[in-house]
Amino acid sequence: MPTGQETLTRPATERRAPARRKTPATTGRDRTHPMWFLAPAFAILFVFFFLPTLFNFIYAFTDWSSFKSDIRPVGLENFTSLLSDGTLFGALRITLLYAALVALFQNLFGFGLAVLLEKDTRLNRAARLIFLIPVLMSALAVGYVFQALLKPDGSLNDLLSALTGQQVSIAWLGSTTWTLVLAAIIHAWKWMGLSMLIYLAGLKTIPEDVTEAAHIDGASPWQAFWSIRFPLLAPAVTFNVATALLGSMNGFDIVQALTGGGPARSTEILNIFIYRTFGQGLFAQATTMSLVLFLMVALLAFPVIRLLRKREEIL
Amino acid sequence: MKLVPRVAAAATLLLALAACSDPSAGPAAPAADDTPAAWPSPTARLDGVTLTIWAAQNSNTVPKAVTDAFTQATGAKVEVVTIPDPYEQGVQTKVATGDKPDLAFWQPTASMLTALNARANLQPLDGAPWISSLSPELRDMTGLLDKTRYAALITSPAVEGVYYNKKVFAANGISEIPKNFDDMVEVARTLKGKGVTPFFEMAGDKWATQWWVQVQLADAAKTGLWDRINTGKETFQDATVLEAIKKYKALIDEGLFNADIKTATFEDQGQALLSGKAAMVMQVNSFFGQLQAKAGTAELDETIGFFPISPSGNVGTFIPDQSNALVAFRTGDPKREAAARQLLAYWMGPGYAAFVTDRKTISLRTDVPSPDGVPQALLDAHASLRTAVGSMQALAVANPDLYLNLADMITGSLTPEQVAAATQKQFAQLAKAAGASGF
Repeated sequence: MPTGQETLTRPATERRAPARRKTPATTGRDRTHPMWFLAPAFAILFVFFFLPTLFNFIYAFTDWSSFKSDIRPVGLENFTSLLSDGTLFGALRITLLYAALVALFQNLFGFGLAVLLEKDTRLNRAARLIFLIPVLMSALAVGYVFQALLKPDGSLNDLLSALTGQQVSIAWLGSTTWTLVLAAIIHAWKWMGLSMLIYLAGLKTIPEDVTEAAHIDGASPWQAFWSIRFPLLAPAVTFNVATALLGSMNGFDIVQALTGGGPARSTEILNIFIYRTFGQGLFAQATTMSLVLFLMVALLAFPVIRLLRKREEIL
Repeated sequence: MKLVPRVAAAATLLLALAACSDPSAGPAAPAADDTPAAWPSPTARLDGVTLTIWAAQNSNTVPKAVTDAFTQATGAKVEVVTIPDPYEQGVQTKVATGDKPDLAFWQPTASMLTALNARANLQPLDGAPWISSLSPELRDMTGLLDKTRYAALITSPAVEGVYYNKKVFAANGISEIPKNFDDMVEVARTLKGKGVTPFFEMAGDKWATQWWVQVQLADAAKTGLWDRINTGKETFQDATVLEAIKKYKALIDEGLFNADIKTATFEDQGQALLSGKAAMVMQVNSFFGQLQAKAGTAELDETIGFFPISPSGNVGTFIPDQSNALVAFRTGDPKREAAARQLLAYWMGPGYAAFVTDRKTISLRTDVPSPDGVPQALLDAHASLRTAVGSMQALAVANPDLYLNLADMITGSLTPEQVAAATQKQFAQLAKAAGASGF
């Protein structure tokens, strides 16, 4: 399959390489825009991202609180007291579990939808639009809407009561085991439209002749899909898994609106824990926790992205 | 060519580091001038002055009538800004970033005044003209931090006690209110024997769980429990507090509470007591506020009663809350600071009679009568203040999340010992941050 083989190589990398080589030469007058055009963007990035991150590092080593005006350095005290406390590890475990569940569900839903709605029919276009609406919704609104639906006297139980003909009053958000899973599913529901869009784009870029060639070689539609088209989606998988995993590690709004960390703190992800600590006026301790979260996201991001990138190399 | 950006970067970094101080420290060098400020005449003209009051969702309608009258009398404009719940967290965060109103509703206890860094952020209200007109027991009950007054009490401070359904008591032959905690438990057992749910608790909304432990500590509080805890001489893990937690758990395990205790909410609690589904509820004044939204004064007087309770007798535990008091901020603008004091002087002075009539609330001034139409249960709660002792919130130097831990105990994820340990740990952390010695 000479034609197929050609498309399967990654032309992008080849095209990128010469561009990189050219870079030193473009520093002269032939640039289209002067470098200082970057200044406003960098100024904003500096003030709203680099400075807070820097302060995050500094305040974590102080005793900053709402109780007094002076801020004194305390060394590693905040870290040692945090590490000796089981609550932090509990929150970390819940955060990781939540992130993994969100990544799983969001990609399952998004992938399923993308495959279902791949053909450009009028109905499919309308359906894609509808599934994209949750992405545009406010996360807090999503949390509150589902909280109202899942209450013991909420609409879901009303519906079940009407269908079964008997009073149903399940406390959907009352289980200390399953509420986290439900929260992850709701988070995934909100963002599945985005994953769908990226998978759709991935599916659209696969040239038809590749699948056609597979059919000619006698592959069944099932084989053609899982052995030819699915591997070619690897870059979309990388992006979707990485954004879902890392985005949900920083999650707060949906869970806060849905459960506020309950029941019995079984859904208290790290950001809710940080929020609670900050609210008590223990600013330095909250900052230390957010530094821990930052480090954890960074530590997790590199191996995950490398692993997913490795998958792409087979292309 | 490369040097310039590097120098610029280094300079910005230095600037950034120099800026690394608490913005709420503010320009007004506080601490030194704790001399009582002058109190302007309540009705002096204030044309062109705009005052801001921060209020919570449950207190933002309280000032309306009084501030309207103040505007009419003085020409000052008053804006009430609602800070979304959780109110205290929102206010603390805003103040930490340097954002301050002129006045705000605030829990007037020492621990919450500390949490706001009162010495640096709040105006001392010593020498306030209305203090001498307050009922004697209320004058120095709360609002003080290290003998300096920082908060003005405007309404009757909340009391922890038992709200009960009079009809349920009567129907089951209980003619006298329980005389002490054990007596109350006996009454509960009698009621349970007759198929009535004796107590209703709301662990779904969590926050009321702490009252059960606190009322059991009333006698110990009288003999200095919180002083000992504040100085690290006693802890939540020692017998006094731990036994109270264990007793609460034992009563729940005995089946004296509603079956849906784990998920029941504040709303459910009000519904249950009013309808007679449950006989008693351990609560504070805001619970009665909920009942008032559901029923009129006549019906409430007929159905709902209140009695304070402690191990040794009918002693209430007071817990002034955010809607009971106001604090005035140091904004750095002397004119507005004086205007804020003037509004307080007007509110608690010439404007007070109209205020209590508008809010149908109990008057704290001896020379202003309480309006008609205040339900009996509220009057009883207010009357219990004369002998009431302070709650954890009122007397401890820090306010740990005891209620959260207790709610976790009710859902089964913590034991009483773990509740005590977690609460003590957090208490020590907060007390240390607040600068208490012994931690």
